[in-house]
Amino acid sequence: MKDVTFILNGQSTKVEVDPDKPLLWVLREDLGLTGTKYGCGMAICGCCTVHLDGDAIRSCVTPISRVQGKRVTTIEGLSSDLSHPVQRAWMQVQVPQCGYCQPGQMMSAACLLAQNPKPNDTYIAEAMSGNLCRCGTYQRVRKAIHLAASLAAEKRVAE
Amino acid sequence: MSSERVSRRVFLSASLAAGGGLLLGYSISSDSVVNKVLAASNPKNSSTATDIPLNAWIRITPNDEVTLISSQSEMGQGIMTTLPAVLAEELGADWSRVKVEISTVAPAYRNPRINWQFTGNSESTTSFFELMRTMGASAREMLIAAAAKRWGVSAEDCYADNGRIIHRPTRQILRFGDVAEDAARTPPPKDPKLKTEGEWKLLGKSLSRVELASKLNGTAIFGIDFTVPGLVHAAVMQSPVHGGTVSNFDKESVAKLPGVIDVVPIPNGVAVVARQYWQARQALKSLNVTFAGGPNSEISSETLDKQYRAAIDGNSWKTVKTEGDGHRAEDMKGKFAEVYSQEYESQFLAHATMEPMNCTAHVTDDGCTIWGPLQGPELAKLAVSGMFKLPPEKVTINRTLLGGGFGRRLLVDFVVQAALVSKAVGKPVKVVWSREEDMQHDVYRPATLNRITAALDKIGKPLALAHKVVSPSILQFVYAPAVTEDNDPSCLEGLMETHYEIPGQRVDFKLLRIGVPTSVLRTTGYGPNIFAVESFIDELAFKAKQDPYNFRRGLLKDERSLKVLETLAEKSDWKKKPPKGVARGLAYTEAFRTHIAHVVELSVKDILVKIHHITCVIDCGVALDPEICKNSIEGGTVWGLGVAFKSNISFKDGRTVETNFHDFQIPLMHETPPIEVHIINSGTKGMGGTGEVGPITLVPAVANAIFAATGKRYRSLPLSRHGLSLADTNHERKKHKASDV
Repeated sequence: MKDVTFILNGQSTKVEVDPDKPLLWVLREDLGLTGTKYGCGMAICGCCTVHLDGDAIRSCVTPISRVQGKRVTTIEGLSSDLSHPVQRAWMQVQVPQCGYCQPGQMMSAACLLAQNPKPNDTYIAEAMSGNLCRCGTYQRVRKAIHLAASLAAEKRVAE
Repeated sequence: MSSERVSRRVFLSASLAAGGGLLLGYSISSDSVVNKVLAASNPKNSSTATDIPLNAWIRITPNDEVTLISSQSEMGQGIMTTLPAVLAEELGADWSRVKVEISTVAPAYRNPRINWQFTGNSESTTSFFELMRTMGASAREMLIAAAAKRWGVSAEDCYADNGRIIHRPTRQILRFGDVAEDAARTPPPKDPKLKTEGEWKLLGKSLSRVELASKLNGTAIFGIDFTVPGLVHAAVMQSPVHGGTVSNFDKESVAKLPGVIDVVPIPNGVAVVARQYWQARQALKSLNVTFAGGPNSEISSETLDKQYRAAIDGNSWKTVKTEGDGHRAEDMKGKFAEVYSQEYESQFLAHATMEPMNCTAHVTDDGCTIWGPLQGPELAKLAVSGMFKLPPEKVTINRTLLGGGFGRRLLVDFVVQAALVSKAVGKPVKVVWSREEDMQHDVYRPATLNRITAALDKIGKPLALAHKVVSPSILQFVYAPAVTEDNDPSCLEGLMETHYEIPGQRVDFKLLRIGVPTSVLRTTGYGPNIFAVESFIDELAFKAKQDPYNFRRGLLKDERSLKVLETLAEKSDWKKKPPKGVARGLAYTEAFRTHIAHVVELSVKDILVKIHHITCVIDCGVALDPEICKNSIEGGTVWGLGVAFKSNISFKDGRTVETNFHDFQIPLMHETPPIEVHIINSGTKGMGGTGEVGPITLVPAVANAIFAATGKRYRSLPLSRHGLSLADTNHERKKHKASDV
């Protein structure tokens, strides 16, 4: 057991856990944030995607010891009131079906847009190639990312 | 599925056999015909004292909160929005203010067609549409009657709109909440008047899914997210060989590991119980356990291939259809200008729901409570009450959202495990399967082998078709009453009721017994059979030197079939030549009462198949929510790309070979082309399902397009076995590279 301190969704957080325990399971069972999903445990499906210091990472293969002193953002931290451009776009395009993979899809999309505010389909495909959707919502994910880019641009202009 | 009544005894024993070899001689009291309206009018599910039930589907509080009940499980198909919207439409409720609640297991919530509570077979809308309309209209008339009585006016002069009752002549208004209590005391009308399609305000429009917001901020509760106070967690390992058993396990090998509470035997396996799931998973890896393979240890894809081959070349057939002359293929020779025969093969598939199998159970001295992502809640109730010899009322089944279903969650093997483990440790337990466990202990879509033989006239027109089908059972574990020694109607879907006007038709079937478990998976028998039929029709068109569209048109008379096909030709520009290097393929069918057709545009370079564009037309009667419907067809089309190109389950030494998404592959975003879906409205008389149809015509349309592009005909799936892969669909990337040069 080891103390690990990090910033989770803007809040300083301390857990005392097995340092090898993946971030995914620490989030889900030590911190009660179940929006981040288990899908494969091998960094293939992307359901567990969160941001670590702004990068999209697979929390199922990230030992908690690696997040010491870093910033972690989960779907719950994107915004609870659905005001993030990615959430607004997902709402407008009605992306989800079962919805299980969507937290991961949205976290990958949010990271892409933070790094590339107006991505073309090539960049979108590259950024999203590690997020599987068994319901097959890819076309809507792609559309929603374009929409989120323009919603974010409008917001920046307004500010 | 046939409409025959369910024998509970058969149902239960078959299902538990699927769940791990338990066969219980349990049966419940004879199942009297349930008067749905009566049952629905006497609900016991009022959640609060102020919540006033008007029937089993609608509750209204004095302060105007309307709660609508969803009997159907939400797994992404949007049913938790669409059916409550039917209730709200007839009720005249304010949609922006209604709450939707998932029902318990009760007779009122059974599918009225087969008197059994489940979500599957793409039939929630078709089976519940009239009942939902009637329940909504009935409650509306009760509210109006109560308001009219209070005003001392005629009910004829009142109407309901936006959560209010309005007296037309005086414009007086009462809110639903004002009269709910009086309305609940009003006898339900015998024959409530239903609204016409022209009067609809909600149906036929795109509503936002009721659970959408929760799926965008991480608050949606799937089975894996569910928790109760005192919950402990279990990780399971079942015999790697299908049908094998645990020889022994050493509890002490993990007893001292962090968090471990117990190690519990389950059917065909063991469960490690710990304070946290991660601890249970870790401990399971260290558990000393040995398995005995049992009778299936020698099974492999090769032995299964031989079994299929022997069956298709053998003489043991059940003739399930003869029309016209109904010639056997063997008898066609010499009687017609030409006889043409081909074989088509569809592969084993896993459901691979994104949310792995899981379930929470709490067994107490008093009874058992289940919380889980279930398509078959009534089967779960029956299985648990049977297993523990509990009266059914002592078993409470609660459903969470489902992270995908596709038929897998009609089974209850994982529910049985959770209940057994909870009983063993005396605590509420959540069992969660690892992805590997989920992939290796699925109950698979069976591989199917089809041989079609056509008798042709001099110009290549088919005069007779003889179809041979070899498939293991699809319905055995979810609808056993429909399965006999030598027949399973689901394996014959798409062959018994074809729209092609071919005078002689014959279908012979061989129900195969194999050592790996098989069950329903999105598209059921339609998938393999329509791949065969629509590939074969395309072959016949080529032989007759006819355009595949014109050839099909010539064989179809049904009005809806023709309209779908003609609309597809128009929307896909079928009659215009595709750009150089691009080829098109099409396929049509009726499945789950919906007419569907796809055109796939693609190009082939060496082994890479690049899909440029997909057009789909459907006629499902009326799409009650067009956007949900389109999303479902788009997703089904993507699913079909996986079936056509990538997804495959194989077997070796009695085990499933594939373990995770690296070897059981599904399509990715960059392989997904633009998909255009057009919906034809043909009225509420012919409502059809949309959850499963998407992949059915996509798969043969792909094979037909590849033939058009290359002249090569692929007759077995997935195409990866022929070395073909999906290429990146991205146009921008290509342009980018071109400008680099």
